[in-house]
Amino acid sequence: MTCDEFERVLPELEGGHSSEQEEHLRSCSSCSELVSNLNAITDNARLLPEYEPGPQVWNAIETALRQEGLIRQPQLQLVSPASSSPRWRFAWLVPIAAAALFGSGLFLIHRQVDRQFAVKPAVTTASVTTPAEPARNVASSADEEQILAAIAARAPAMRASYESNLRAVEAYIRDAELSAHDNPNDQIAQQYLTNAYEQRAMVYEMAINRAMQ
Amino acid sequence: MYRRNEVSALLVVVVLAAVTAGAQTRKEFHFRVHRRASVSIVNQYGPVSVKPSSGKSVLVTAILYSDKAEIDQRHSGSRISIATHLLPGADADSGRVDYEVSVPADASVTLRSATGPLHAEKLHGDVILEGNTATVDVRDLSDGHVHVKTLNGPVTLTNVTDGHVEITSVGGEVSLMSVSGPFVHVNSNSGRIIYDGDFGGGGEYSLMTHTGDIEATAPAYASIDVLASSSQGQVVNDFPLQPVHTSFAARAGSAFAGTMGKAASSVKLLSFSGKIHLKKR
Repeated sequence: MTCDEFERVLPELEGGHSSEQEEHLRSCSSCSELVSNLNAITDNARLLPEYEPGPQVWNAIETALRQEGLIRQPQLQLVSPASSSPRWRFAWLVPIAAAALFGSGLFLIHRQVDRQFAVKPAVTTASVTTPAEPARNVASSADEEQILAAIAARAPAMRASYESNLRAVEAYIRDAELSAHDNPNDQIAQQYLTNAYEQRAMVYEMAINRAMQ
Repeated sequence: MYRRNEVSALLVVVVLAAVTAGAQTRKEFHFRVHRRASVSIVNQYGPVSVKPSSGKSVLVTAILYSDKAEIDQRHSGSRISIATHLLPGADADSGRVDYEVSVPADASVTLRSATGPLHAEKLHGDVILEGNTATVDVRDLSDGHVHVKTLNGPVTLTNVTDGHVEITSVGGEVSLMSVSGPFVHVNSNSGRIIYDGDFGGGGEYSLMTHTGDIEATAPAYASIDVLASSSQGQVVNDFPLQPVHTSFAARAGSAFAGTMGKAASSVKLLSFSGKIHLKKR
């Protein structure tokens, strides 16, 4: 097997090498090095986080490959297997270029995502911000409605009791959050907040257990 | 004539009693266990009472009030789980089951009930009691962990010593009579907390409410480092306290801090808007 023949079948070697190909790799250092480099690119590409690149990334890859003449519109013509077309010499560049461009695209996207998350301010447990509070209330209200609905389905007579208890606990949480916000360094204020959340967790747990019985 | 009426009435009573008793079913379960058995009873309606047994066995006696309830039981090694299984159409009356349970004194016990009441006594393993409106009564426990969770049921602990006690209640009143140990923590919302003991054992006592009142009674010889505060309620102290160097700001009528004796135990009495009274017995 010659180097040209080996490079021609190179894109199809994913499933393994035939004995002839193995023999050529053992005897030819340049083809062996080429296969080794391609394997390294493949292995490192697997370590990249999985992000689905947008269509613009694929478009950029295609454009670059067209500019380099590595891809063109498909043509219906018979090519004699015996003829050694010069362009097939560079066919092995296709997977390398694709992998390199793909990796570059992923790297750029990853950096954009990191920047996006770095911009968001840190949220401390002691602080109570006005924008966050409505979101928490909406989330906890939705949770409560789900739990109360589950209770109502299993034990309708107990829904009012659980609702009343949840209202009492939510009032405690509001007072405790306000106190912790006004006195962020006060350990007693923090303890009130912990206690209030503990009570809510208990009510949720008992309601869920009741609904599941 | 008069005698005939008496006999007739008696006959009616006897017949009614027989009919009623006939509707109830008594079941007994007996399990052999090893050291540190774990026993769990889940019963929606009806009392559950747990006492110590003499040997390494668990005896469960259940009285079912109708055929709308069944008992599911599981036994694996030293782990026993008993649950009342309510059939469709069961309510608080027809689904009621009364349990009397005897366990080794070092067993871990978990009781869950909506209406209860729940009772545990003379045990020294870990005890967990959960109830919605169930009355919880715990007495003569020592050494173990006692965890109580209730929505609105009253909780009473009597003579619980050397234990780790944690009680969480939304609206139920919590009464602690002669309760002492390394850790006693009550977290209440609107339920009142009543403590009558000596805050002994060099422990950490924390009685906290949102709106419920706190009434703590201790002897004159109590050895405590106490801190009490209510943001909107009145705070009264009957003890002459030694001042302490602390960042906590005392405010007449709403907060105080200080020590008594050797300050062996730490005591925190805290409420958002309830009244607090530290009484001398």
